[in-house]
Amino acid sequence: MNNERGRFEALALPHLDAAYNLARWLARSPADADDIVQDAMLRAFRGFAVFRGGDMRAWLLAIVRNCAITAGRKIRGRREDGLPGETNERGAHLTLVAQEPDPEHVAIGADIGRNLNAVVAGLPEEFREVLILREMEELSYREIAEITGAPIGTVMSRLARARMLVREQWLHHVEGRAQHGMR
Amino acid sequence: MACAEALRVQAYFDGELGAMDAADIEQHLTRCADCAALLQSLKTMRAAFREEVPYHRMDTGLRARIRKAIAEPPAGRTPRSFWAGLASGAVGTALAAGLAVFALLPAAPDPLLGDLLNAHMRALISDHLIDVASSDHHTVKPWFSAHADVSPPVTDFAAENFHLIGGRADYIDGRRASVVVYRHGAHVINVFAWVSDGKPLPAAANRNGYHTVFWRRGTLDFAAVSDVAADEMSALVRLLKQQPDPVE
Repeated sequence: MNNERGRFEALALPHLDAAYNLARWLARSPADADDIVQDAMLRAFRGFAVFRGGDMRAWLLAIVRNCAITAGRKIRGRREDGLPGETNERGAHLTLVAQEPDPEHVAIGADIGRNLNAVVAGLPEEFREVLILREMEELSYREIAEITGAPIGTVMSRLARARMLVREQWLHHVEGRAQHGMR
Repeated sequence: MACAEALRVQAYFDGELGAMDAADIEQHLTRCADCAALLQSLKTMRAAFREEVPYHRMDTGLRARIRKAIAEPPAGRTPRSFWAGLASGAVGTALAAGLAVFALLPAAPDPLLGDLLNAHMRALISDHLIDVASSDHHTVKPWFSAHADVSPPVTDFAAENFHLIGGRADYIDGRRASVVVYRHGAHVINVFAWVSDGKPLPAAANRNGYHTVFWRRGTLDFAAVSDVAADEMSALVRLLKQQPDPVE
């Protein structure tokens, strides 16, 4: 009966995991991520009329990202004195331990001296998002540029910077061990 | 500290470079220790990322809440019959046979053909030939499943001198298409696949030195575009048609 909803569901529901994963990595709290992704999917459905075909996943991820940024601003507004959640490029690693401790992350990384999850979670937002989109969603530079609204050159330099930070903060600490096991 | 080529090394690692640039960087990597180390780091980090960083999947409770929220009728909007019409492709299929004869007339240039040639040349020129670079169909095929609407069969015909070099997602005539990319000598062959709308396909064409051959299998339409000689193109198309049937 409702063809529009059927069509939306057929196109959008396969990407719920991708939407949720991005929300989780941008929000860094499961409860915030729930709100963000729910808000995003409703917006997507209401705005479905302007979706002219193309890559549904990229379109949804762009909406999730915008919702996460809006939500992030609200949260930062509440924490007026810049408590955990505020990072800057240079001092990113200083905030690692101060992030809301995600039990899952803690459990996984408990016996690894320095844990990759925490390093990724501690990256400034604009670096974290390109890394998630590239390494987890395996999106092309062009698609990431569309989602983040940044030029491709900016995507490339952010990605390079994100990887350099991971290299400095994580790889250099595990290099001895990794040397033999890498492909 | 970083070599000026670091960004291109990264692009190479991410499969974003065209064939020419990729060859260039491979040369560079043999000479630049910094870049070779960078590439190795990138590989190590990606492997660790895939092992250690969790992909958060949505739980069924939230999934259900979202479906429920969507099911509540949005206020003040009418369903668009346009999409409803598109959704039933039967009309187009029924007309296809009757219209086929018009496609052979050289009257107006076919927009699909023009689009394919543009996509082919754009890919060659703009350094965006390949999204996933691999000669292994076990790599390319799943990539399509994850990244494109269409997951065409992928086979390496290296023995016949058509080397699989990768795949790409592209946009043809208003539709998402998957592109399997082959190399034959110095020539690149783009094999486009998209979900057929049932309309008749244009006849094989030779425009500006580029051959384009169309065929249909099951629910998919295919087009191969290249500047290889016509008989070589036919040889590849013959091989492609002998692949196992496309799934879905």
